[in-house]
Formats: sequence, C-alpha cells, structure tokens
Amino acid sequence: MAGQKMDAGLDILDVQIVDKDGRMSGVVDDLDFSWDEETGAPYVSSILSGPEALGTRLGGRIGLWMASVHARLHDREDPGPAKISIGVVKKISNHVEITVSREDLDISRSPDWARDTIISKIPGADRAVE
Amino acid sequence: MRLSDLLHSEVYDQDGVSVGHVHDVRLVRDGPVIGSFGATFSIDGLIVGKGSFGSRLGFDRAAMKGPWVLKALFNRLHASSRFVPWDFVAAVEERKILISRAAKELHEPKALDLNGREEA
Repeated sequence: MAGQKMDAGLDILDVQIVDKDGRMSGVVDDLDFSWDEETGAPYVSSILSGPEALGTRLGGRIGLWMASVHARLHDREDPGPAKISIGVVKKISNHVEITVSREDLDISRSPDWARDTIISKIPGADRAVE
Repeated sequence: MRLSDLLHSEVYDQDGVSVGHVHDVRLVRDGPVIGSFGATFSIDGLIVGKGSFGSRLGFDRAAMKGPWVLKALFNRLHASSRFVPWDFVAAVEERKILISRAAKELHEPKALDLNGREEA
C-alpha cells in the first residue's frame, strides 16, 4: 500500500517470518538499508535474521557471544547475518510472508552445517530417522 | 546501515544539545520497487525522546485505548517525544546522530492508525 507508514521497531522487529508453505522460518532480528542512488534516501533492502543479526542488535557480552557461536557453527570464514531480500517478501502484517521456501534462505546454513559436520558423525546418526 | 545502528543512538541538534535517544524509526512505503514486494519502505524519520518503554508496548498508538491509567501515564511520559524528519539528519555516527536543525523546531510524532496512516 503506497504511502503506508510503520514504526520499524514496534511493527517489524521480532515479527515471525513464514515461508511459502506456511512454515515458521525465523523472526525479523534487524533490517538492512541501502541508499537510493537518485534520492539519496535509505530504503529497506533486506531483512536480517538469525543469531548474528540478533547478537549485533543486542550488543554487549551476550550479543558478542551469540555472534561468536554463529561464526563457529558455520563453514564460511565470515558468515555474516542471514539476509532475506525485501524482493521475496509478499506481505508485512503481524507476520512476514515470503515467496520462497525456508530451505532457500541463508537462515538454514548453521543448522545444515551442524547436521553435516557434527550430528552426522555421532554413531547411530544415520538411523536417527527411519 | 542497519536499523540497530539507529535505534537507541543519541540525537544532537545543530547546537550540540541532546534531543534524546532514538525510540523508533518511522518508515514510509515510497522507496524503489523491488521484486514481488513492489515499492519498499524508506526512512521517513526518527522518533526521539527520553522514555521508550511505552512506545515499545504500543501505548503511543491512537488505536490503543486502555487501560486508561497506563495510557495517561505513557502520554505524559511521551510528551517530550519528537519526530526528526530524515531530511534533517546531517550525520550518522556510532551511537550518535547529528541533525541540522534546532531542537525547538521539532514537533511531536503523529500517532499511526491501524492502516499505517498518520492521525490528523
């Protein structure tokens, strides 16, 4: 809705993200802004989700610890936050609907890494799901 | 720049006087068209003041009618809140935002209704 206004902290932060199949896919932990080349005004380009984004937002020791754990449970050297482009968002209301599957999001990188690198090496892990 | 870079930052006017801390960032849907979302949100301005607890609970919303005791209490606390249009922002530094106007030029933020429209 053109001209619609929202208070980002009250209306968008901590709101549930729901994927195209109706599955819970994380929450909005922060927003990333880019700069409009024509007007110079900042606009929302991505939603940030996951421990890195939340840790950075919270700050302090707890925030640093969260970001550090996220970095360790990851295959990339500098993993950064999980970004969801605003271009795949369908609607923002009391939840955020996206047009892609949660498997396609960066948010699933840490659980995937933990599954492949840690869980799969535990004896009997291959029989965990019959 | 992230939203969290703005939230809780202290805002100083052109004379170096503190206006308060950023309670929230008001967005307006008039940004560039991106993918299936269409026009994205750009920053309309900053809601700045001394106390933010009531704002986080939504007590500064026109649609929030009660409990009346809390509504009255938070209305009083938020009387010092000011809206800083983004055009007034001169610089965003770490935990500090500088604006190009005097604090007395700023007005109270307008409440939003449930459709995201500012109350007259």
